Formats: sequence, structure tokens, C-alpha cells
Amino acid sequence: MQPDSIRQLEADLLARIAAATTTEELEAARVAAVGRKEGAFTQIAKEMGRLAPEDRRQFGMLLNAARQKVEEALEARKQAFADAVLRARLDAEWIDLTLPAPGPRRGHLHPITQIQRELEDLFISLGFAVLDGPEVETEYHNFDALNIPPDHPARDMQDTFWLEGGNLLRTHTSAVQVRGMEKLGPPLRMIAPGRAFRNESVDASHEHTFYQLEGMMVDRDVSVAHLLYFMKTLLTSIFGREATVRLRPGYFPFVEPGFELDIQCLICGGEGCPVCKQSGWVELLPCGLVNPNVLRMSGIDPEQWNGFAFGLGLTRLVMMRYGIDDIRQLQGGDLRFLEQF
Amino acid sequence: MKFSYNWLRELVPGLDSPPGDLASLITMKTAECEGIEAAGAPLDRACAARVEAVEPIPNSHHVKATVDAGRYGRVTVVCGAPNCRAGMIAAYAPVGRKTILGVESDGMLASAAELGINRDHSGVLELDEQVGAPLPGCVPDHIIEIDNKSITHRPDLWGHVGMAREVAAILGLRMRDPVRAARLPEGAAAIDVQIADFQLCPRYSALVFDNVTVRPSPLWLQYRLNAIGLNSINNIVDMTNYLMAELAQPMHAFDADLLHGGTIFVRPARGGEQLRALNGDQYTLEPANLVIADAAGAIALAGVIGGMESAIGPKTTRVVLESANFLASSVRKTSAALKLRTDASMRFEKAQDPANTVRALARAIELLEELSPGVRLVGGLADRKRETPPPPPIELPLAWLDRKLGRAIPAVEVRGILERLEFGVAESAAGVFSVTVPSWRATKDIAIKDDLVEEVGRMVGYATITPRAPLVPAAVPPPNPERRFQHDVRELFTALGFNEVYNYSFVSEDQARRFGLDPSCHVRVANPIASDQALLRASLIPGIWKNIAENLKHRDSFRLFEIGVEIHKRERGLPDEVAHLAAAVYERQGDGVAALFELKRAAECLMPGALVCPAEAGPAEGRPFEHPARAADLLWRGEKTGRLFELHPTLLETGRAAILDIDLRAVERLAAVEKKYAPVRRFPSSAFDLSVVAGERELAGKLQKRIAEFASPLVESIEFVRQYSGPPLAAGQKSVSFRVTAGSSERTLSSEEVAEIREQIIQGMRALGYELRV
Repeated sequence: MQPDSIRQLEADLLARIAAATTTEELEAARVAAVGRKEGAFTQIAKEMGRLAPEDRRQFGMLLNAARQKVEEALEARKQAFADAVLRARLDAEWIDLTLPAPGPRRGHLHPITQIQRELEDLFISLGFAVLDGPEVETEYHNFDALNIPPDHPARDMQDTFWLEGGNLLRTHTSAVQVRGMEKLGPPLRMIAPGRAFRNESVDASHEHTFYQLEGMMVDRDVSVAHLLYFMKTLLTSIFGREATVRLRPGYFPFVEPGFELDIQCLICGGEGCPVCKQSGWVELLPCGLVNPNVLRMSGIDPEQWNGFAFGLGLTRLVMMRYGIDDIRQLQGGDLRFLEQF
Repeated sequence: MKFSYNWLRELVPGLDSPPGDLASLITMKTAECEGIEAAGAPLDRACAARVEAVEPIPNSHHVKATVDAGRYGRVTVVCGAPNCRAGMIAAYAPVGRKTILGVESDGMLASAAELGINRDHSGVLELDEQVGAPLPGCVPDHIIEIDNKSITHRPDLWGHVGMAREVAAILGLRMRDPVRAARLPEGAAAIDVQIADFQLCPRYSALVFDNVTVRPSPLWLQYRLNAIGLNSINNIVDMTNYLMAELAQPMHAFDADLLHGGTIFVRPARGGEQLRALNGDQYTLEPANLVIADAAGAIALAGVIGGMESAIGPKTTRVVLESANFLASSVRKTSAALKLRTDASMRFEKAQDPANTVRALARAIELLEELSPGVRLVGGLADRKRETPPPPPIELPLAWLDRKLGRAIPAVEVRGILERLEFGVAESAAGVFSVTVPSWRATKDIAIKDDLVEEVGRMVGYATITPRAPLVPAAVPPPNPERRFQHDVRELFTALGFNEVYNYSFVSEDQARRFGLDPSCHVRVANPIASDQALLRASLIPGIWKNIAENLKHRDSFRLFEIGVEIHKRERGLPDEVAHLAAAVYERQGDGVAALFELKRAAECLMPGALVCPAEAGPAEGRPFEHPARAADLLWRGEKTGRLFELHPTLLETGRAAILDIDLRAVERLAAVEKKYAPVRRFPSSAFDLSVVAGERELAGKLQKRIAEFASPLVESIEFVRQYSGPPLAAGQKSVSFRVTAGSSERTLSSEEVAEIREQIIQGMRALGYELRV
């Protein structure tokens, strides 16, 4: 029994392990090397008793080192086989991820819903309450309380759907101003987005059903400068860039003074183009300081309080934002249209 | 309202802003200008010309005319007018050369319509002028169109003088008032006026003229009226229209010889009283209509239209000229009731200035002398009116004005603006102006100090005000949970793949009936656009059905939803508006089952634990639009909150649609429950399966409920696992499997305890006659 023969055995076993190509061959190599009965190391260990005690220690160390090496080789080889099996399994699991995902696609919110929510969020952040009013309104809330008595020529400005029984479909969300003042009392800040109706025939640019967002602030000293601030903030937020606005006189019985607010044309930047009819400005919303008669009718003392109000056309805004040229699309229910938003 | 630029220039000497600039100034300071149009452009170089010779052009009705066109020389013109003849003096316009019917034509002989003078295009315009002379008083003009809505509150702006006053104030010029009040005659009136109610008619003024000649108006007058959209009739009628357009005062001329008696009555119409109006229509009147009458009956509808019987005609020689003021709301009511809107009623309903009646008459005297030479005034001015004190001055505190506008304006500037607009200004206290309103602004327009804010603001220019954030206490706005909930539902349904649609609030009677709704339970529109939009929707389903029917033309499969209100009629007061969600899944292929379960899942996302309860006794009454075997109520927290069904297959051209209809008002209310924490179980639970053999159409949900009745309190859940029918089960039978899970928060259950729970259920179910496969 020589150290050389151990080195030889080690080399033979390592070669056999390396040559194994299947788990069976590797198992056979393992049995041949470290098997409890027939294994080469077991055999050698049995023969160690025959050695002189002084040699035994040195020989034993040699043998253990060789055994450890072989066992490591076996383990490494085994792991390599397992890795290969896993790799093969994973490879077999290849799929084509460019195939479409099953199930419905995410749906789309109506574009008016989207713009309305943006504005609600903006105004809530500015301390405004969001109020709702009924689509069917009383003549009082829609007209009289807004300083538009019967037989006032301003009633011509809004062709009205009258209902049997004397109520009407609200012609503007301004009716919610009155409900807001009744409900909240001064001071108040509110908006009221919603559906409004005018009795006119429908074509590409006219609808009998449309959406508005009414806004109102009542406080101690509300001025035109404050109104301008909110309008500028509102439009800058909607259009995502600094908006330039201007006020000019406009007549609405529920405000005094009343304004038409124009925004500098976003298409041409005020140079003049077909969208703004070469004027550089686009008419956007009516607004003004609340007429004291309106405050008084809702039980607010105009000597103590005043305010501003505005009425933003959401339908119009959506059309401007997306360049929609046919207003009928918005209530048409055509998914080929709605899925674009 | 159309304004002639030339006319404004006559009224505002020194006005030299071009029409476009003037329109912009008016838009920014006064009222919205909708556009500018050129009028009478061919008049630019037109002149009178003599037709010297006319030669027919073969095979046409045109002639070749040789024309002496003054400074344009002798020209050849092709003319198709029937009145073209040698020797006539006609209007010639040098519009350039072109070849017509093989003849080179240099310029044209023009009709009055072509020149923009009136609407007559029956022949070339014959003139009574020297060859080469321009057309008298006719030069090209620009017409500035002002949006009528923006002058609803400004009675004065319905005439050129009112706008001229604005323009003068804007530009710092002076207006030339065309009225000379001194022309009004002194002495007793030749006609008596009786006013029944000064409330309805605050003032009625009139003059009587004789020796009147009725004839066409001179060209300048025809042209001016035509340019602002009014028809030329004859000199008398044109004069009244001209003054209406100038002073905003509507007038009416009666043929005095056709009136009965010497008194004009202003009174309510008698019930059933008849009037044939100038438009040729016969009107049956009521006491709510104010009329002008003579001894025999109504001769005009006050402030609206004159009568045919007393109309000015070619033989008229004596004229009663009315210039009156009527109550705005009364004129408006009559005009609306008779569906008769006229230039006069449009002005009166804006509340005209009673001081204006005699101004218009003074001006009429001058104009008539020009239009009907030889005319004579008979007697003095008839003028009945209610004496009313002028409105008190308005106190305008300047500090308050500054606060309203959000910028300081020096007192001297405020005074200057108001005085230019012809308000009277006195300083009643330190920093307070006492402002007197001119009569033409005092009828309705300016009554309170807020109205003066506008006067100062618009003139100083709103562009001079700097936007400024208000200083207000930071406060959380009151919440709107309903709206918030609806937004959450929208988010949920879009995440589940549904697209949001908006439908109209109108339905037809047919649609209502088709969807099982009684038309009489709907709110009805009194003036619908079309008969199929006569009811307000009491259900979202008709709209959703239409969406499905339209979209299936383009898609094999889709999902959509709407959130909107159902409007339910109530005995009294406003209708009940109930927010609903309607969602639909459409599939062209397949048996429709997956769509129903997809919607069931969506409903459960919204209402966790909701129960789906199909009708037990066959198809639901009065719901012909539902698939009779595929419909169920939704119950949540003990209340009916909606319905799930398949649309009756006959309602669709092809494919199947499942529909979910949910009462969001109820769900929002029920959703508000407080959440409470329960500790997570520390001990493992045990589960076992049970299969119940039942009839094919027995509801799994019901079987589960039965099992629950026998379940010990230790049972945590009973879940459906699967169902099976086929051998070895008998035909008409199925086996439904459930997994029962039991456990305790205090210990792990022993196998004996679990077995006991299981046995209890089995015995209970067997006692009900069910076979159990265990």
C-alpha cells in the first residue's frame, strides 16, 4: 500500500466521475468510490489495520483528503446534472409573450368624465365644495332666483324644455348656485358640474344636451381681480400651460358686471388662425360678479357679502382639447369614438 | 342688430377709426361684435350714364348698349335687363371688361339690387341725374353686426344714436344729436288720445300730417335701410323704420282718413276682438293683448304690429304718426302668445325710454319735409303720459368700487368715464359720488351701484386689473359622498374592461313600453324637439340597448356602461332622480353564459356578498325585454339593489347581451358600514366536501343555504366546488359539491368534532329528501 496508489485511485475516480454522462453512470461511480460495501475507499480503509501505526496516521490523512476530493467532485457533478435538468425544463417552458393577454382590455372613461374629474380635483384643492342639483328643475331655481323673471327678454337666450306640470329641464348648471347658497350659506366656494339642456336642433356644433361646470364664490370682498385669478388658474390647469385671458362685457342677468371671458388662441398663440377666426381669441366662458338681487333672493345680505360666478362649458372644452369636430359624437355611444380617450 | 359705419360717422364727427378697429373697441367696451360686412361695394365708382343706342344680340334676350358713362367715356356694355333702352339714364358701374355672348362688355348697367340699394333686380336702376354724377347719398359702407344677446339689457343700443353715444364715450369724442326738439309744434292736438292703463302704456305721443305724398323713398334712404337689413316700402313707412334704427323708437303711421272718429284709444283688447295685421294674418285677441283702437275697433297691436285696415297706401294724404311707449313685459307676452316677433316688439321688450317718443316725432317732422315735400303739420303735439319722478341718484362709494374691481381708480377718472356716458356726477360726501342716470339708461339697465361698477370697469378696461388670489381662511370643503362613490364605480368598471357611454335623458313612448314601463309614469316634455323624445327616461336600459344595437355592427364583443339618473314622476314637486349604473356585455358568439357571470362578478366587486336571486315562479311579469330563464334580482344587505339579466334574444339582430342594472343611491347608502378588526385565527381549520344530488334546476345557491341551516356555529364557510350531471346520475339530476370549512378560535378541532359537524349536515339534508354522495 503506497501513497502513489492512493493518488492513482483518486485520479481514476475523478476521471470516472468526469466521464459520467447520466445520473446512472454517476451513481455507479459513486458506489465504486464511496459505496459502503464495495467502494474503493471502504476497501482501503479496511486494509489500513495492516499498516504500521506510525504510517497509519500519515496514510489516513492522505486517504481522507482523497476521499473528500472525490466526494466534492461527485456533489459538483450531481449539481451540474440537476442544473441541466432544470435548464431543460425551463427551456421547454418557453412561451410567446407577444401573444395578446386574455380577458377584456381596460375600459375608457368618457372624455367629459375625465375633464370633469380633473376640474373637481383642482377646485377641491382650492377649497371648493362639489355640489349636485337635479336635472329637472323648478322655474324658480333656473330663472327667477337668478334674476330672470318671467317675461324677461333674457329668457330668449336659453331655449327651454318645459315639462308638463311647469317644471323644466335645467338650461344651465347655474341653477345649482341657488341650491348651493340655500344649502351652504355664506361664505361659500362651490362648483357644480353636470348636464344641462337647451331646446335646439342637433347638428355638428349644436346639442340639446351638454355639460357645464358652474362655479361660485361668496365672501366678504370678492373682486374682479379674484375672479381673474381663478379663471387663469383653471385654464392654465386644463390646458397644461400658462393661459392668457381677457374679460369683455357680457350680459347675464345673474351677474353684474357680467363678462365674456376669452382665452388667447392656443393654436396660433394670438397671431390669428381659422380656429379663432383670425381674432387671436376664443370665447370660452361667461362669468361675473354675482348680482346682489341673486344673493338677496337666496337670503344673503349683499351689503355684507358679494361674490363671483362662472359657467364653464365642459362639452366645448373637451371638443377644444381633443379637436373633436362633431358634438354629436359625445352622446353617440360609439365605442370607436369613446375608446380613443 | 346691424349698425352702419357711415351712419355712426355722421353721428360722431371726428370718428376716424377704421371699421375693424371700431368693432374691436365696441367688443371690448360695450357689446359683442359678430362680424363686419361690406355693403354697397359696387357703389364705389358708380355713376349715372346715358344709354345712347341699343342693338340686339342674336339668339339671346341680351342687348349690346352703347353708353355715355361720363368720366369713363363711351363704353359698350352687354345688358340683359328688360328695361334697357336708348335714351334712358341708368346706373353704370365700371366693374371691368369681360366677353359676354361674344361681345366685349366694359363695366355693367346695374340693378338696384346689384348696387345694394334695395332688393329690386327686375331691371337696371333708372336715375334722374346728370351723366357722370355719382348716385346721391350712396357710398360704400360697412355693416357692423352686434350680437343681440349682448344688448338685451341696453334698450338704447337698439338704435344708431345709442351706439354713437357709446362710441363717442369710448373715443373721447362728442356725439351730434340729430334731434331738434324745438321742431315740435305748439298748440292743441288734432287728435285725442285716451290711455286705459298708464302701467301698460306709460306714454303715447302722436302728430297729424296732411298733404302727404306716398311714393318711393329716395335712393339714399332705400340704401341705408337695405344695408341694415330692412325692406324699403314707401317714403312714409321707410321714415318710421329709419327713425327706429336711428333712435330705437318704434313708430307707426296710420292713414288718418281710414280711422273712425277723432280719438285714439290705448286699451286691452276685448275677448275675441279681431285684427288683420300688416303681415296679412288675422289675429283673435284677448284682454291680455294691448291694442291701439279707434271708435270702430282695434287698429294695431300695441308695440308689435299695425293693422291692415288703416295702413298707408298710395292714396294716403293724411297721416297719424304714433310714437309711443309700452310696458316691456306686456309687449313680450303678446308677442310670445301670438308668435309674432317684430322689430318693434324686440325693442319694446327691452324697456324703451318714454322720453324718446317726442324726440322721434321732432325728428320725423324734419325727415317728412325732405321725403314728402309740401307736407303740413295739423295741430299740435298729442302727448299723453304718466308723470313719474326721475329715479333717485345712485350713491357710489369709490372705495367700494375699488374693492369690487380689485384695483384703485382715481376719482377724477371715474367722474370722467361717467360723464362721458352722460351720467350726472356730484360728490355727495367725501369719496362718494351721487350719480344721476340718463333717461335712456334708467328704464331697466342701471338701477343699483353694481351697475355702475360695470360702466367704470368696461371703460377703464378689464385688462388693467391684475389677477389676485383672495385671502380666505383655509377650510376643508364639505364632502360629496354620492359623487365620490359614483366616481369610484366608474373607476371599477373601467378597470373591469367596461367603456363609459353617455346617453340622452329622453325616450319615446314606444321605447318606454318596449322596456316594460308605463308611459304615464314618465315625466313628459311639453315642447319636445321630436315626438320620439317626449318622455324623460325612467330607466337607463333603453339607451344601453341602443348602444348595443349600434356597436354590434362594428364589434364582435364589447362591454359598456353608463351612470345616469332615472327620473321618476311624483305626484307633486320635482321628480325623484335616482342614480343608476347600467352595464352590458355583448358577445356575438357563444351561449351567453360567460357574459352573465362576468356581470355577476362585476356586481360582486361593487357589492361584496350580494345575492343573486332568480325568479322562482317563472319569467318576471312585465319585463318582456328579459330572457325569461336568465334573469335575477340582486340583493345586498337585505335590500333589492339591482337586476341581472340577459337581453331577450329577439331584441338583437345577432349575438347575446347580458345587462346589469344597479341602484347606486341604494348601494351607496348600504356601502357605508364600519369595518371592524377580528384577530386572525391561530388554530388550523378543517375542511370536508359534500355532494348533494338534486333536481337539474334546483339552485346551487339555495342548496348552499340549506346546508348552512344545518351547519354548526363552528362552520366558517361553505363554498361551491363543482357540479356534475350524467351517468351514473339519473336523467334530470345533478350532483352539486360544496366544501365545508370548520374551525375554532380557541383550539384545533378534533376529528370527532369535525365528523359530528359533517354528520349533522348529512342528516339534515337527508331529512329534507336529498341524497348525499359523501
